[in-house]
Amino acid sequence: MTDSSDLGPVPPGGRTRGVIARHVAILVTLLAAWEIACRMGWLDPLFFPYPSAILVGFWRLYVTQGNIWPHLGLTMAEVLAGFLAGSALGIALAVCVGLIDRLRRYLKPYVIVLEATPRIAIGPVIIAAFGFGWTSKTAIVMLVCFFAPFVNTLNGMVGVEPEKVSMFRSMGASKLQTFRKLMLPSALPEISAGLRLAMASALGGALVAEFIASNAGLGVLITQYTGTLNMSSAFVCVLTLSALGYFIFRSMEELDRILVFWTDRDRTARVSRRRLASWRARMGDDA
Amino acid sequence: MKDHLLSRAVPLAKHLLVFAALIAFWEAAAAIGLIDVILLPEPHQIAASIWDLYVENRTIYRHFFITLYEALGGFLVGGALGLALAVGSSLNDSFRRYVSPYAILLNVTPGLALTPIVIAWFGFGYSSKIALGAIVCFFPVFVNTLIALTRSDAETLEMFRSMGASERQIFWKLRVPSALPMIFAGFKIAITTALVGAVVAEFSQATAGIGVLMQRLSFSLDMSAAIAALLSMSLLGLILFTLIELLDDRIVFWRRAARMDAVSRKRRARWTGEREKQSGKPQGRRRST
Repeated sequence: MTDSSDLGPVPPGGRTRGVIARHVAILVTLLAAWEIACRMGWLDPLFFPYPSAILVGFWRLYVTQGNIWPHLGLTMAEVLAGFLAGSALGIALAVCVGLIDRLRRYLKPYVIVLEATPRIAIGPVIIAAFGFGWTSKTAIVMLVCFFAPFVNTLNGMVGVEPEKVSMFRSMGASKLQTFRKLMLPSALPEISAGLRLAMASALGGALVAEFIASNAGLGVLITQYTGTLNMSSAFVCVLTLSALGYFIFRSMEELDRILVFWTDRDRTARVSRRRLASWRARMGDDA
Repeated sequence: MKDHLLSRAVPLAKHLLVFAALIAFWEAAAAIGLIDVILLPEPHQIAASIWDLYVENRTIYRHFFITLYEALGGFLVGGALGLALAVGSSLNDSFRRYVSPYAILLNVTPGLALTPIVIAWFGFGYSSKIALGAIVCFFPVFVNTLIALTRSDAETLEMFRSMGASERQIFWKLRVPSALPMIFAGFKIAITTALVGAVVAEFSQATAGIGVLMQRLSFSLDMSAAIAALLSMSLLGLILFTLIELLDDRIVFWRRAARMDAVSRKRRARWTGEREKQSGKPQGRRRST
């Protein structure tokens, strides 16, 4: 699995003031065209709300009524809990499987079948098993978040070059040392990519779980607003989710930079300077 | 030959043995009462449900094909849009600069969050499922195609230029062929997400499809049938995935040596045939070799 996050090299002339101004101009034109299309009756405002109505909706949902906050909090809690539990489980299981060669061989067919199943499809079964509360949603998010870290960790551990393993062994490294100093670091970039994938799907998982059966959360709010054709408020929720998604995406990137610091030269230098300093301090104490 | 058969049969037998042991363990755990059979039914009940759904009542086929059509439709629409926009972006820098923020916005929004809105827009029928599938599978195709088309080997590009290739030739003979493997990787991600989109839309609002069937069965606590339906969803995912893989194998023929040989043999046969036709008579030199 790979993650598809950046759009390749940025075209030349990236961030000058003129470019930003043009971006803004295009956005404003689009919004104005939308607004005019609604006012002229080309778009049915019942289904395609006015951009101005969406703006008003933001004010209403966040400030005057403030009713989005509890739902937002609940959804975030489900996403975080499910992500932490699911990815921890995935990584732990993959490490176990990766260390035992035979287990991996016999587990492979099941992993393929599970991979082909749309994870979210298990939703109704889990809701029937765990009830309508937040546990079932967390369980679904957990399941959604399990696979990407599992598969990537496994791939990363299997991908370690055999020469390096035999090198470690010939130097007399214990199994634990081989794991900690060789397998884990070389699998870490892939593990981090898996975590990013998992986090990206976690939000979707929580929402779908709330769509299926729930009484609180952003998914419920969107369903309610759409059901009563209050589309501007529904759009506020969706745009909130976009912002949330962007925030999550950025923070996962940051996490990747911290975990896999050695892919970036400056970061490597900084970390090794820090390590050197702490090592010197320790040696100084000894001496 | 016999050795070859044996070498494949032994691991298969071991796999089957492991599978049988797992099933037996599961049955035993259910029999002792370690597993609540209402929530997680025994394997033989699931097998009976599969028999029931596929052979006796044959209820699954209608739902199966409806979901298959929805997923394929979503994939075709979303994939075509993603491909078109990515090709446009790769050819024109300013187009790309002003399109990509919206593509990123679409990417960070969980597409499935749009389910209720899409249903309000497109109604309860197939079109809303296809639309949701298209929305969620647009981005993988777009991003993979764009990256693959814009990233190219500088030396090969130089080579093409120095041989006097036109921009059109560079696009068709260099960029597209070298991008195809990655584009297909995007298709593979997209087709499974299109399936997810279709199924989620069915969960929300539909009258037929595997998603509906599953929801109905699990909410009536007929868990063995629900798991049978879930397994058929895996089957659906595998079918769709294999479809793309077959296409991949056909179109990106140069990745596998055997297929590459077959294609080049065919091309050479056609080429020599044309030459023979042009010169009016078979070429003696070629025949002698």
